[in-house]
Amino acid sequence: MGLVARGAADVVGGFGAWRMWWMLAKNDVVRRYRRSRLGQLWLTLSMAVMIFGLGAVYSSLFGTSMADYLPHLGTGLVLWGLISSTIIESCSGFTENESIIRQIALPRFTYLLRTISRNLFVFAHNLIILPILYIVTGSPVNWHILLFIPGLLLVLANLAWVGYLLAILSARFRDIPQIVASIVQVAFFISPVVFKPSQLRVDHPVLILNPFASMLEVMREPLLGNLPSMTAYLILLGLLAFGWLFTLAFAGKYSQRVVYWL
Amino acid sequence: MAHIVLDKASVELAVYNSRGRALKSEILRRTVGGGLQNDRDRSIQVVKALNEVSFEARDGDRIGLIGGNGAGKTTLLRVLSRVYPPTSGRATVEGRVSSLIDLSMGMDTDATGYDNIEMRGIMLGLDRKQAQAIIPDIEEFSELGEFLSLPIRTYSSGMMLRLAFAVSTAVHPDILILDEIIGVGDAAFAEKAEKRLHSMIEKASIMFLASHDNNTIRRFCTRTLWMKSGRLVMDGTPDEVLSAYGEDISR
Repeated sequence: MGLVARGAADVVGGFGAWRMWWMLAKNDVVRRYRRSRLGQLWLTLSMAVMIFGLGAVYSSLFGTSMADYLPHLGTGLVLWGLISSTIIESCSGFTENESIIRQIALPRFTYLLRTISRNLFVFAHNLIILPILYIVTGSPVNWHILLFIPGLLLVLANLAWVGYLLAILSARFRDIPQIVASIVQVAFFISPVVFKPSQLRVDHPVLILNPFASMLEVMREPLLGNLPSMTAYLILLGLLAFGWLFTLAFAGKYSQRVVYWL
Repeated sequence: MAHIVLDKASVELAVYNSRGRALKSEILRRTVGGGLQNDRDRSIQVVKALNEVSFEARDGDRIGLIGGNGAGKTTLLRVLSRVYPPTSGRATVEGRVSSLIDLSMGMDTDATGYDNIEMRGIMLGLDRKQAQAIIPDIEEFSELGEFLSLPIRTYSSGMMLRLAFAVSTAVHPDILILDEIIGVGDAAFAEKAEKRLHSMIEKASIMFLASHDNNTIRRFCTRTLWMKSGRLVMDGTPDEVLSAYGEDISR
């Protein structure tokens, strides 16, 4: 249990260093678009182009109307963007901060919070598209939308332990980022981003065994005016408990050593 | 206030080559077992960079570190700045530490001088207001004037060093860690920089300085540690340690 406590102290300390990760994450987003005219709006724009492009193709492939399909796809792509880029970028959570880690002693989780908050900034930019999309397509919005916030928090809390684990592993084994990138790529196609869960059987393994499907469900359904299924919440809560317990113990044992692996 | 205790602190660094880092070799090692032991030995080398070092430092100590290249001086400095946790033994470091090993840590070349000052200020543990409060001091000291509102990638290396030095020395820590006395810029500026460094050394309650220059050690330090292949060989006044070190070298 001592290991879990050590891991937990690191995570709590990471939140305590909020000035550091907040500043670094903000700078990351600004830096990417510093010399471009449209600046951060490029994030929004490229996402919008992607949604309409894929929407045009897949709605005719699936034989559904654009008005019915676009809200599903658009929401799915925006949410998938958050999930996938957080996971992929978490892999370089420590390696990209090498010079800082070698010079000042900060809780390791600080660097994960940098990655996560940077991705939240990007996500916030992409989120702007959705209201426009809903208005244009006349997608129903109701009080269920309030469930989006707990859904988002539940997903972020899960991504945080996955990210922490991957960051430690990637510092030690440099193949991990490549492996993760290809797994995430496959996950995109087997998760209900472009297709609808309703196009499969309700108990199809892709929906039950694939945690990404649950992550998408608890965030997307509220935005589209539906109630997420209880199963999705239970899966994510279960993962949250076991995932954090394991990650805290793992981090308690290994996260201090990360500096020796950089 | 500041207090440091090292109790048999050791640091073992595993040096991985590209094979050692790869997951494949790790999996093979795990599955194939002892048979590949030799192969593993070749891919991962363990270096004992610090070997059971024990000492105590209190307020007012000005400690010089001497020893040849690879003697463990920088590793010791990293342990003292709490960056390296000892792999065995204990290191207790109380007080706010600041190390000047890498002056340009965390500088963003696309950001302006002002932005970088603020960012580095926050990295040094200041809040936003405090970080902005050190700006006038840095403006005056670095003499960079208008350039501070330009991205620092437009700076010459000398200008960059001026800024990095000015920011790194703007906040006074309890424990100051130096790897050699840094010389910055042209003659006039170097003199100014030296003064600034001196006042920083004076204000710190404990100072560590690794140096290859005997005069520097004599001038700044009241106590000297001699490191040799990861071990602490001698701990005493600068004069006695330096003469013993000198004899050892000439032998």
